[in-house]
Amino acid sequence: MYRASGLRIMQQLRRRIPSEMQGFQNFKVAPALQTFTFQQQQHQQDRWTATSTASGKHSSPQVATPPPRHDWNRAVSEAERIVGYPTSFLSLRWLLSDEIANVALHLRKLVGSAHPLMKTAKHLLYNGKNTMQAWGLIVLLVSKAAGHAPSVPDVEQDKSAGVLHSQRALAEVTEMIRISHLVHNSVVNLQSSTQAGQDVATYDDMSFGNKIGLLTGDYLLGHSSAELANLRNQEVVELISSAVRDFSESEFIGERDEQNNPLPYKPGTFQRPSLSVGVDFNEHDVMTPMPIAQVLGNPEEEWECRNILNAGSLLGKSCQASLKLAGQSEELQRHAYRFGKHLALAWQACLDAEPFQCPQLPLDVTFSLVSAPVLFHLEHDPGMYAQLEAGKQSVDNIDYDKIHKAILAGPALVKTKELQRKHTAAALAVLQHFPATDARQALENIILAMQDL
Amino acid sequence: MACLSTSGRVVCGSRRQQTHKLLYQLFGSRPGLTNPSPSTGFNPPKVQQQAMRLFHGLSFSMGKDYPDLLQSSHKCSHNLEYSQCSTTNKRQHSSVHTQQPAGPVREFQIDPYIILDDDLKYFYDDVRYLLKSGTSQPELDTIASYYFDGQGKALRPMVTMLMAKAINYHLNNESHQLVHKQRQIALFSEMVHSASLVHDDVIDQSDFRRGKPSVNALWNHKKVTMAGDYILSIASIMIARLRSDDVTIVLSQILTDLVQGEFMQLGSRETENERFAHYLTKTYRKTASLIANALKATAVIAQADDNVAEVAFQYGRNIGLAFQLVDDMLDFVSSTEQMGKPTAADLKLGLATAPVLFACEKYPELNPMVMRRFSEPGDVERAFELVHKSHGLEQTRFLAKKHCNEAIRLAQELTESPYQKGLQVVADLVINRMK
Repeated sequence: MYRASGLRIMQQLRRRIPSEMQGFQNFKVAPALQTFTFQQQQHQQDRWTATSTASGKHSSPQVATPPPRHDWNRAVSEAERIVGYPTSFLSLRWLLSDEIANVALHLRKLVGSAHPLMKTAKHLLYNGKNTMQAWGLIVLLVSKAAGHAPSVPDVEQDKSAGVLHSQRALAEVTEMIRISHLVHNSVVNLQSSTQAGQDVATYDDMSFGNKIGLLTGDYLLGHSSAELANLRNQEVVELISSAVRDFSESEFIGERDEQNNPLPYKPGTFQRPSLSVGVDFNEHDVMTPMPIAQVLGNPEEEWECRNILNAGSLLGKSCQASLKLAGQSEELQRHAYRFGKHLALAWQACLDAEPFQCPQLPLDVTFSLVSAPVLFHLEHDPGMYAQLEAGKQSVDNIDYDKIHKAILAGPALVKTKELQRKHTAAALAVLQHFPATDARQALENIILAMQDL
Repeated sequence: MACLSTSGRVVCGSRRQQTHKLLYQLFGSRPGLTNPSPSTGFNPPKVQQQAMRLFHGLSFSMGKDYPDLLQSSHKCSHNLEYSQCSTTNKRQHSSVHTQQPAGPVREFQIDPYIILDDDLKYFYDDVRYLLKSGTSQPELDTIASYYFDGQGKALRPMVTMLMAKAINYHLNNESHQLVHKQRQIALFSEMVHSASLVHDDVIDQSDFRRGKPSVNALWNHKKVTMAGDYILSIASIMIARLRSDDVTIVLSQILTDLVQGEFMQLGSRETENERFAHYLTKTYRKTASLIANALKATAVIAQADDNVAEVAFQYGRNIGLAFQLVDDMLDFVSSTEQMGKPTAADLKLGLATAPVLFACEKYPELNPMVMRRFSEPGDVERAFELVHKSHGLEQTRFLAKKHCNEAIRLAQELTESPYQKGLQVVADLVINRMK
């Protein structure tokens, strides 16, 4: 779901780029992905030209006064230049391993089946770079922006890129863990009643897909832990392991349908806390879980908690861990954590708002029932919960068009945009604690570009 | 996966009577003839209960269809029979849940589970506590701790602690702090093992494990997958807190090996010649690596030299290989009831284990079945029959025995101590176990 919206954001972006940057011929494409996505891009390029001329005709009155736009692709590719070669998980080392070759072989058997793993794989391959999946890049930029303690020996530095080799390894681990979570999340629940009536062939496909998905995720986790161990910093191991814990915990919060898709809490189930204090991890003990019970029922805080566990935790903790590797102060580490967290939350808010940008919900597009607009709307109109109850068995049973319409008519979208701005501002504010460098500038550009999406 | 499962119900450090300490003498005692000393303050009924509980582990029946393979069919399935059993000579030598070893009678009568009672007693409680403290979600906690019910053999923690203490004795360093750290390594080994069981359940879609419904039969498979990741992450946090870079590196090898072993199990491209080597490598990665590296880690944290660490590693590797070979053999001879899981499970999963590979030599008609992973109707039954007709089971047992003897030899390189002897007893336990 999130992936789908990410894809659409990118398509929108691509539509925008040619019209705005007509003189800008040297449009940069992430080099590592070039070979993999070349055909895809060709294909989409054809589409841009088609759509941009079409939309150009229709929406020319609106485009008359374009606001100053920050270009996402340019921001990202400049950022990549700053920290050296790209860090996407598609590094050759990764692709050439026996196990992944094995997986690729097995994945071919799944082509054409309905297993969600195929969808996940496709999005990872074709949108890996462009939809902010490149968390490793953020980690590297934060690393470079902070610099490292003078005590770090020269051999451990990647002088040309301005980061440590260990930080680069950590960035890779961050991406591997993120992907392993996505892949493990594509496992299908085969015990549910919705699967019961299926024919044997479909069941076998699903079962095989689960096997491959599970093993691939485990492979990534196993290798992450080996790479982490080689960093020889146990605080970092502890921190990153706790981010893995947070990922798994996030899949248990609240009601779930049979495929474990989240449903919001019934309005009024929880006493709204009188004071809305932000909830976060215990800084002194990573083992302590997020005290999520304190914020249930408060749409914004609950949303924040869910998404910290689901995204912010890994990005934040990776940024923090990276500074640990560089021997930076505890204080700067805290700032790094906050930066990563707010950036992830801002991005999530942006993704959440995306399906509501058009007046009509496009075909085959759905949205998460715990996304910010839905939660805000439930607060505004608790009566909508009755419609969501249809999704208790499967969220597919919900009339998304109807809810989409209701949300557009309410104040939820505005609140979501406010939420995004809040976290964007917070991320930018935290950045001020870092010295002004090209890396910091690159991070700012990425945030600003995201704000305009 | 079937191979990894240490199903069955065996006594180890107490969980039921957590409040009692065993009264037996550690060394040279005859647990069966426990005579609780009155001065301990425990009331006799409880002690008796304890003793019976210990002997409950004896209650197994022999693989009836394979009597010549496993000597001394000694049946003792009732607590009532326990007094008779315990007076037999055999009982004194063999410890709980083992048979009289085939070789010369060992001169020492040590039950590793008893001499480790202090370390294993609250073992599963500690795991459950750890898992509980890491999450605010009750369901996650429930799934994650499902297999830590104390019904497993606790083989891995037991061997890990034995090796840890044998090494400590060898190095003359028996500080509590060190033992505590080594116990964390034992916790890690059991947690990683359980995490792999949880994920295997989703992969194999088996309905039962250890005689109870498996996790995938009870909960949403997505949640089960996440619970496996959760156990791993908690175990990693715990190990990171030991603050030893080398231990973390040694233990992380376990995880990569486990997954690589699983991947090897997926493939069946290898030719007939390579098949056995492939099987052994797979077995090392899936089972033996966990034991070998956990044992090595206990040596590393005790700051033992490389030789001792290597002894620990090789001992663990041999025990692990023997354990799995016996497991693969038992898959053909035990009853469903004993194993807590269906027999011939490996065949049904399309896996050719050692007995089948040995049988291939006598019955080449098995080769095509192996290649198609016993997928055609009747394959499983036919292969099962041929394995029994061939010498595959004896040969598997012989190979396991060789590894056990090697393990005993390695253990003897350490300074003699109750724990060092315990390590040798374990080798007998492994080869003679019935489930």
